[in-house]
Amino acid sequence: MAESAPASSSPSHDGRKRRPKAVDASVERQRAGETEHLGRRAVDLSRFYAGKIETVPRVPVRSLHDFSLWYTPGVAAVSRAIQADPELAFELTGRWNTVAIVTDGSRVLGLGDIGPRAALPVMEGKALLFKYLGGIDAVPVPIAVSSPDEFLSTVEALAPAFGGVNLEDIASPKCFGILERLAQRLEIPVWHDDQLGTAAATVAGLLNALAVTGRSIGESRTVLLGAGAANIATARLLIAAGQDPRRLSLVDQHGVLHAEREDVDELSVRHPWKYRLALQTDGGGRTGDLARAVEGADVLVAASTPIPGTVRAEHVKAMAQKPIVFALANPVPEIWPDVARNAGAAIVATGRSDFPNQVNNSLVFPAVFRGVLDARARSVPDEVVLAAARELARLAARKGVGPHHILPTMEEMDVFPDVAAAVADAAVAAGVARRPLTHDEFLERARVLMARSGRLVRTLARAHLTAPMPHGPVGQRRSI
Amino acid sequence: MTTGATPPARPAPPIRLRPAREADVGAIVPLLLRLKRLNEEFDPLLKVRDDAEAQAREVLAAQLADPKAVVLVAEGTGAEHEKIVGVVRAVVRERPFYVPEFEGAILDIYLLPLYRRRGVGEYLLTEVTAALKAKGAGVVTAEFSAQNEIAVQFYAKRGFRPVTSIHSRPL
Repeated sequence: MAESAPASSSPSHDGRKRRPKAVDASVERQRAGETEHLGRRAVDLSRFYAGKIETVPRVPVRSLHDFSLWYTPGVAAVSRAIQADPELAFELTGRWNTVAIVTDGSRVLGLGDIGPRAALPVMEGKALLFKYLGGIDAVPVPIAVSSPDEFLSTVEALAPAFGGVNLEDIASPKCFGILERLAQRLEIPVWHDDQLGTAAATVAGLLNALAVTGRSIGESRTVLLGAGAANIATARLLIAAGQDPRRLSLVDQHGVLHAEREDVDELSVRHPWKYRLALQTDGGGRTGDLARAVEGADVLVAASTPIPGTVRAEHVKAMAQKPIVFALANPVPEIWPDVARNAGAAIVATGRSDFPNQVNNSLVFPAVFRGVLDARARSVPDEVVLAAARELARLAARKGVGPHHILPTMEEMDVFPDVAAAVADAAVAAGVARRPLTHDEFLERARVLMARSGRLVRTLARAHLTAPMPHGPVGQRRSI
Repeated sequence: MTTGATPPARPAPPIRLRPAREADVGAIVPLLLRLKRLNEEFDPLLKVRDDAEAQAREVLAAQLADPKAVVLVAEGTGAEHEKIVGVVRAVVRERPFYVPEFEGAILDIYLLPLYRRRGVGEYLLTEVTAALKAKGAGVVTAEFSAQNEIAVQFYAKRGFRPVTSIHSRPL
């Protein structure tokens, strides 16, 4: 975000002193040091383990004779059965539980357009999360394509192998068209985690943050800073959850997005999703810069640039009493949580695990996929995404919500099966489920499948089929 | 017409159409420039000149004095009283070789985004067509970027079809 003029020179409401800048800088240096250390260790361990996932059989193999069942000639009958009834692929093969993690590598983490080859380690990590948290067999599929059309036809060609598609790390705005068109073309759920996962986690956190500060979503003035994949989806989901679009301001590098902004006709051609929001929100009644947008706002959700100071104490001070501030850029938030709190923020959330209130898509995607796969959903409509957010918020509340606990933490993994079941129920209610089971059946399935992954990982380790994590420098050693 | 994605349906805002006056030029110029910049998005051969603003003023001033030209503005009412939200610019031209002898050529239609898809464009088209007919036009034409699919659809729905084509290449 380009910086704007200070919001106001009003003194701090709580009278506390702002944290001196030097402390922020040293914290930042320390964190950068930690990140560098983690990076070195990750490279060492990647070399040691030579990849993060592998294929494991689901069937016993007593001797090579069994291959007359698992393979030819027996398998031909299985193929004929699916030829006669394609839906049987979800019964007779692993398709029901297999997800493609597809990227073109055009916007990987904060690294930018690093291409499909360099994106593979990230997709492997995602596949590991899918397996460990969701009990889902996810296959990393970075693809070398040169246009959105080629992207679409490639994924369409791959679809027969998969029960779902998880799009990952695709540049905005092309990610919107790719998601929309793929979802139309494919008969399986298509999800773009950078849009939907982040948006669902954000909305879940906001629902509780609003409750804790005694607000209703319908009356909140909300500012979204950054109009990339995450916030465009968050805006849509918030409106679906009851946010008044006329009290919603999106702010990007050109300022508040409104219906008469100079670039709005250009957006109608190049970025219809943003154009739609420009008309729908019309700036939330504001024009100008971030400083103007945040005046009196209840909520600020920043998903923009990982530079502390993108959101400043002055911005928070200009908001309403007890404001809610989500600073979601990774690896560093747009404003450090202590700076936001000292400026009066009642609730602060970030994308990081080392601060309270981590808004993390890993809270969402394993459960969403578990749910839509178990319901054999054809798609993931917004009401299903919203159901995931609401359930996540409800489960956090079950353990008691407060300024430092608006979302479950990643340690509270017992919430995943409930979210999965809520998602599956919502898919049934939305009429997109090919296999409508009862809530209890969905819940039980999710519990069993999710717990199985943990057992699998522990069992492989106990049997020394995965090497123990080496301590200290790994050097050139290999696990095999 | 320059509408893109569908905005939420809201009732048509009250709009008044009237012929443009000298005093409107300052409000019309930015609308014309928005339209020209949109055309630039569609086609690099429609790149907007640096002096386009001054040109727009001159062209408008000349047309306001030209009895063969029609410039109408759409004006808001109520809270948006006297705010100019749209413009149509057209001219009656002789066709030396064909009948009907005179055509009414719609050169520009622009509406601010919030006023699109609510029948205002249709209203502008109807009114400008009537004005051109009153000035002797026996056929009405519309000129826009060939890449502007939305304009193609808008006019096609209202009975327009391609008659002549202008093809272009840079030199």
